[in-house]
Amino acid sequence: MEKFFNPKSVVVVGASNSSFNLGATICNMLKDYLHYTGPVYTVNSKGETVNGCPGFSSILDLPQTPDMAVIIVAARHVPGIIKDCAKKGIKRVVIESAGFAEDGQNGAAMQREIDDVARANGMRIMGPNCLGTLSTRDKFCSFYGVNPSLVEMNQIFETPGNISYIIQSGGVVVLVMESLYYDLVGINKVVSIGNKSDVDEADLIDYFQEDETQVIGIYLENVADGRKLMEAAKKSRKPVLVYKVGRTPEGAMAAMSHTAGMASNDLIFESACRQAGIIRLKSINELHSLPKMFTEMPILKGNRVAMFTNSGAFGSIAADLLVEAGLHMVPLSGQTQDKLKKAGQVFNVKNPVDIGPAPPQTYLDIFEILLSADEVDGLLPLLSVWQTFVIDTLQELLKMCKHYDKPAAIYTPNAVAKSIAIRAKHRIPIFETPEEAVRALSVSHTFYESLWKRGFICDHAECDTIDDNRIMKGTMEAAL
Amino acid sequence: MTTGNVLKKEKITNEILSKAVQSGSQALSEYESKRIVATANVPVTREVLVHSREEAVSQAARIGFPVVLKGSDPALTHKTEMGMVRVNLKNEQDVARAYDELMDKGIRLDGILIQEMVKGNREFVIGLTRDPQFGPCVMFGIGGIFTEALKDVSFRVAPLTDEDAQEMIHEIKAVKLLDAFRGESAVDEDVLVKALVGIGELGMTHDEIAEIDINPLIVKEGKPVAVDALVILTTHRT
Repeated sequence: MEKFFNPKSVVVVGASNSSFNLGATICNMLKDYLHYTGPVYTVNSKGETVNGCPGFSSILDLPQTPDMAVIIVAARHVPGIIKDCAKKGIKRVVIESAGFAEDGQNGAAMQREIDDVARANGMRIMGPNCLGTLSTRDKFCSFYGVNPSLVEMNQIFETPGNISYIIQSGGVVVLVMESLYYDLVGINKVVSIGNKSDVDEADLIDYFQEDETQVIGIYLENVADGRKLMEAAKKSRKPVLVYKVGRTPEGAMAAMSHTAGMASNDLIFESACRQAGIIRLKSINELHSLPKMFTEMPILKGNRVAMFTNSGAFGSIAADLLVEAGLHMVPLSGQTQDKLKKAGQVFNVKNPVDIGPAPPQTYLDIFEILLSADEVDGLLPLLSVWQTFVIDTLQELLKMCKHYDKPAAIYTPNAVAKSIAIRAKHRIPIFETPEEAVRALSVSHTFYESLWKRGFICDHAECDTIDDNRIMKGTMEAAL
Repeated sequence: MTTGNVLKKEKITNEILSKAVQSGSQALSEYESKRIVATANVPVTREVLVHSREEAVSQAARIGFPVVLKGSDPALTHKTEMGMVRVNLKNEQDVARAYDELMDKGIRLDGILIQEMVKGNREFVIGLTRDPQFGPCVMFGIGGIFTEALKDVSFRVAPLTDEDAQEMIHEIKAVKLLDAFRGESAVDEDVLVKALVGIGELGMTHDEIAEIDINPLIVKEGKPVAVDALVILTTHRT
């Protein structure tokens, strides 16, 4: 699977010099933009060279066996090309062409034909009807038709991160990548799996256990093999976040029993997620808004949350949201309240802690008091940025969170645009709405509970931030 | 449970299922459905299948009044709608009259089912279905006549752990019905957990079973008892 993301040589079947040729865009991306150094061959009817990539009229004529073939020709030609790939000994094929199982019986029959050839020859197929792979660290991308300047490819490749995405639809790939431009998330790998006739989301969850990935984000249109997905997710010690479309009921038509009549695909998927420790997302935006909670903050180990605000109204708004999310507005102990009283400028020493105009040190003191309190598992700071020093205190808060091993989901009610502008630069995980911040705490806690349930952690004290692979691995081995 | 017991239960299930599959039935009768779900740790009503009025009367007396009489046949999947149920029969005369009434309906029957009458205010449902992507799945929820209207149910993909079963029981909206309720004691959740795990196991081991409805599961003095059950077979689904 590694070579799907980091091939040392590639052939693009269907790249030519005709106008609007999609295969050529892949060559251009590799050569001009990514400065890919391995050989890139092309195969087209004339055998012509495309942007310096040597051209051949058949795969069989290539001077070597490439690590990977990318196919982007009309569907009817694909089965023949796959047979040529098999003859040439190519083991990895990305079929970007559409017109297979998604396109009626003929297409489905062709897809089956391809599967048979691939299976008989030990080949792995990605797609059909997909974009293939992108790896920021390997500086590789097989996506067609992507204009690097339009989707901010620079930022994506220059600051590799630790989120890997498995996305069924090509359009959503671009949406997610574009959203990340404004968010505090770096990409490790992206893979678009299309019809997933062979490589599917479960294979990739397995694969992402072994690389730099910290969080796995998935967009699914259908589940091919539910049990395989559950098995892969159960074994994943990295959070698996899934947004699935198709929440409408289906399959209830032929039911004879009440049970089958009430079972909807969506209800079953929801249950499967709970059983397998999959975090099911509520919107497509959560694919980019939530991962930062996992990469930048410790996990929320209990459900007791303390709020801290300098603008009382947001305390009440967030309190409702917390309770709805199943989290607990923790009553602060007498000892904690005494400490808060001494901190000065505090209007309310009970949860939510509310302060008036105060100097930076007061903010820091309150962070410290709340995070060090035994009764508090996590923090929800709702801080209006009425002075720029508030931002500076948030950077200190990040350090304290790591020190106390408790997370904070930060929301800045009055300066969202400014906060968003600085969050990537200062790597402060700021959420854009109170709903998003509460949701981040809630999924963090859900993930903790699922690690516990799946035997990855044995004792509450043993859990650490997920970016510390060493500790997590140690804990996992202890659990096994 | 001893190994011998497990084997015996497995034998009962296999016998009933293979006979039904051979005969081309789409479903099992209530009586046979209950024998199967009983092997999966679902408590069922005390009941006997009889073939004569005399037998009906004597078995009713043995079970203890009041009793319920139901027409029994694999094809009879909607007994109440067909008028094939007589409840709250308090003595021998009631039973004899009900027996004659059911027999006079002219509907094909493989016998008359005499069962204890279970009274309780709370009714739950346990079910099994097969999802095209996830395979056998177990359902728990509010049962009785409002099951479909309320749709207060939860699902788990089989096989279930005890913890899965506990979680799904507590996932329904009307979870308070599990507590002590209107003078009745709290529901014995261990019994529900064993039943849910058992039904999941049944779905995993028997492909011939397509769907199961156990509805209602009436709670009597805290103990849930299956009052009706329906096993739908895979082979003859269209």
